[in-house]
Amino acid sequence: MSKIKKNSKKTRAVIVGGIRTPFLRSFGDFIRLDTIALGTIAVKGLLQKIPINWKEIEGLVWGGVVIPSDTPNIAREIVFDTGLPPSVDGLTVSRVCPSGLNAITIAVSAIERGDADVMIAGGSDSLSNAEVHLPNSFVHKAAPVVLNSKSTVKDYFRLLKNINFRKDIIPSRPSIRERTTGELMGESAEKMASRNNITREAQDKLAVQSHMRAAKAIETGRFAMEIVPVDTPDGKRVQTDNIVRGDTSIEKMAKLKPAFAKNGTLTAANSSALTDGASAVLIMNEEKAKSLGLEPLAAFRSWSYGAVDPNDQLLIGPAITMPKALEKAGMSLKDIDLIDIHEAFAAQVLCVLKMIENDRFAQTRVGLKKAIGEIKPESINIHGGSIALGHPFGATGGRMVITMANEMKLTGKASALLGICGAGGLSGSAVLEAV
Amino acid sequence: MSDFLIKLGKNSAAREIIKKMGIPLSMPQELKRAKGPWEERPLGDMSIIAGHIGKAKLANVLADSLIESGATIYLKEEEETFQIYNEVGKSCGRFPEKLNDESGKKIKPDALVFDAMDIKTPEDLNIIYEFFHNNIRKLNICGRCIILAPSISKDLDPIKAASSRALEGFIKSLGREIGRNGSTSQIIYVEKGAEKRLDPILRFFLSPRSAYISGQAINVNAKIPVDNEFPNTRILEGKIALVTGAARGIGASTAKTLALEGAHVICMDRPAENEAAGKLVDEISGSLLLCDITDKDASRTIIDKIQNNFKGIDIIIHNAGITRDKTLAKMDSDRWNQTLNVNLNSLIRVNEELIPFIRKNGRIVCLSSVSGIAGNMGQTNYSASKAGIIGYIKILSESLIEKSITVNAVAPGFIETQMTAQIPFITREFARRFCNLSQGGLPEDIAQTLTFLSSPGAAGITGEVIRICGGNFVGA
Repeated sequence: MSKIKKNSKKTRAVIVGGIRTPFLRSFGDFIRLDTIALGTIAVKGLLQKIPINWKEIEGLVWGGVVIPSDTPNIAREIVFDTGLPPSVDGLTVSRVCPSGLNAITIAVSAIERGDADVMIAGGSDSLSNAEVHLPNSFVHKAAPVVLNSKSTVKDYFRLLKNINFRKDIIPSRPSIRERTTGELMGESAEKMASRNNITREAQDKLAVQSHMRAAKAIETGRFAMEIVPVDTPDGKRVQTDNIVRGDTSIEKMAKLKPAFAKNGTLTAANSSALTDGASAVLIMNEEKAKSLGLEPLAAFRSWSYGAVDPNDQLLIGPAITMPKALEKAGMSLKDIDLIDIHEAFAAQVLCVLKMIENDRFAQTRVGLKKAIGEIKPESINIHGGSIALGHPFGATGGRMVITMANEMKLTGKASALLGICGAGGLSGSAVLEAV
Repeated sequence: MSDFLIKLGKNSAAREIIKKMGIPLSMPQELKRAKGPWEERPLGDMSIIAGHIGKAKLANVLADSLIESGATIYLKEEEETFQIYNEVGKSCGRFPEKLNDESGKKIKPDALVFDAMDIKTPEDLNIIYEFFHNNIRKLNICGRCIILAPSISKDLDPIKAASSRALEGFIKSLGREIGRNGSTSQIIYVEKGAEKRLDPILRFFLSPRSAYISGQAINVNAKIPVDNEFPNTRILEGKIALVTGAARGIGASTAKTLALEGAHVICMDRPAENEAAGKLVDEISGSLLLCDITDKDASRTIIDKIQNNFKGIDIIIHNAGITRDKTLAKMDSDRWNQTLNVNLNSLIRVNEELIPFIRKNGRIVCLSSVSGIAGNMGQTNYSASKAGIIGYIKILSESLIEKSITVNAVAPGFIETQMTAQIPFITREFARRFCNLSQGGLPEDIAQTLTFLSSPGAAGITGEVIRICGGNFVGA
């Protein structure tokens, strides 16, 4: 018997709607919109779309990874900037890439427990506005002088003499480097690819699939219901995700040089890019939604968060949390209609799929007797994934929930399985069901 | 106390000169040692060439153990066996590599592991010869050679017994040859039914934690029943351990190493050592017990400590010991009595009275010595006491099987401690170099083995004496 408990709920929380901004490559048109601004745009868009009295809203839970150090609780700032009543609580969740999903499930938990009836949850990130830090050595040398009101001119001269331009002034370039292993995330993914024999071709194929499907979704207007147009401070109107390349191909991708290792298989094309964006969902107690005459889209049947050793396949987490979420939901793979997996790197997705169908992995790492089954790369991410759409870290969880919830409503499909990997070996997964 | 020749050997210029000038100075290889507590993948980054004879009886056990421990396995593409390793490798992203003429030329293995469980006749020894003959030159420094062979017991016919036992001679000589590179070799005799106890034992003997053990025969039996899975990390979580003579040297090192694995250590030593012992207890958040083991009330004091503070005791390390060397004719009765009293009489008396308080799955480990096995000039007293311990643990282990308590001894060779620093320089130099590894061991080498023997993963070892002597040239 597996040791994973099945969920049973009394109050159900339902998603009644979701909105996201377009996702743009960082340092582009969104450059002057920081994460709070983007979050505010998404939340305003959400509230414009869904007719609800703002006084009903009790809290806002927001996910973000690159958090401004002077205002770490961006959730609260978004409440203020949106114009929501100051009585609306703000909680900011930082759990690397699954942050947005985590923010949403925290809101769902609160509602299921009866602590709230109406919550907004989502996430955002602006890599364009990531703070660039002065080296600590500069602060340590300068602060005692600058912050001391009794400092004399002599003290300042002495400080200037002590400052080493190269070591103390030039800012360190931010990079997605794992603190405990010292590896860039791409390097970790490259290791995973080589350990699991994931070919360059297979990765490029998945990347092309992501782009083709996203391009089609944009073309057919599928994303129109989910995206709020943005008027940037520079006066531009942005309505479309701009990383998507409908005209790409395996031949084009094959021309790129490896990005993380000499003779490596990961390239810029089969990896997700630095992106700016935000997403938000409105979640309510099911009875409340009914009483307000709002149509629910979906509900969370289960979720599972987990952690693995960053030294041993950093991004393999979803291969553990997805089966766990499924088990908690009391479902098997054949009960699942839609599968959406965050594409940090095509290689990472393919490694996860390899592990998820391996019985021994299921026994030793997940605690299940057998693997949940085979998931073919073609069967996931029907409207593309993070490689094509981009990955504004905190916003991705919300994007996936919104697209899956809408898909179930549009097509009558009944269930969706989500999986997101992250830095530090963390991962999050969930099973959504139609309502 | 530090070894000048090891330091010299690390200096590449010095090595060149000494070699070129033909100076007959052996520069021992500095040994790779472990830092910190047991790891989830202790064999991470190791490449291991695996071979077998006949039906690879231990293929599943070896594949699970070695691959999960982080090693990359190279083996010949012999369908069934390779498939077993491949299946395990698939589930953790560490596929085995095919060993052929091409790949064989490029790799520098860190270990050679041979499954000889299916050996039948002396002619089969040729296969072992070939395996090691072809691969030994490639072995990396501080490498490991391990042969797994059937236990010499009544289950075997005499011909099989001869063939299996031959491997022990083979491995002992091999150890003498590869010691100059810091490499070691052991034979692990596996009793029928003991296979599932092998994983932690393989991890220990292939890892740097067994750095100073060389040329030894390790017997793994199925006497103690095992139910749970063995923990890979925090291996002594929740355990209460008692270390006698804990204030310094091997005792202190052992207390620290046990604590690092999660054990609460009662550090016992004579009141005169209260400062050193007190500092140690602070460092490892253990408990202090100031008590001379030769006291008539020593047992009572220890039992009171256990009963007042803990629910029982899990691990006892009998480490307290003294030397009072003198050749027999010149040895006065005080020297004789003191040594026997501390090292043997008190140990036995205290141990017997503590047995009822040892919890199920407990561990008793006593410090014996190579001197107790092979004898030593001026140590009739010391050797008697250390040999007595061997007799004691061999028989005591049988009677404690039903409580699942293992009883073992370790026999250190020349270890660089305060005790050995007192030996006159020339004698000390000889003693140091008188082993395969051409160097003395460190207290941490003993501590690592004691910690391993105290762990749940050592359930397959009981009634054994493990020499930690760097492959000392004397005794067997």
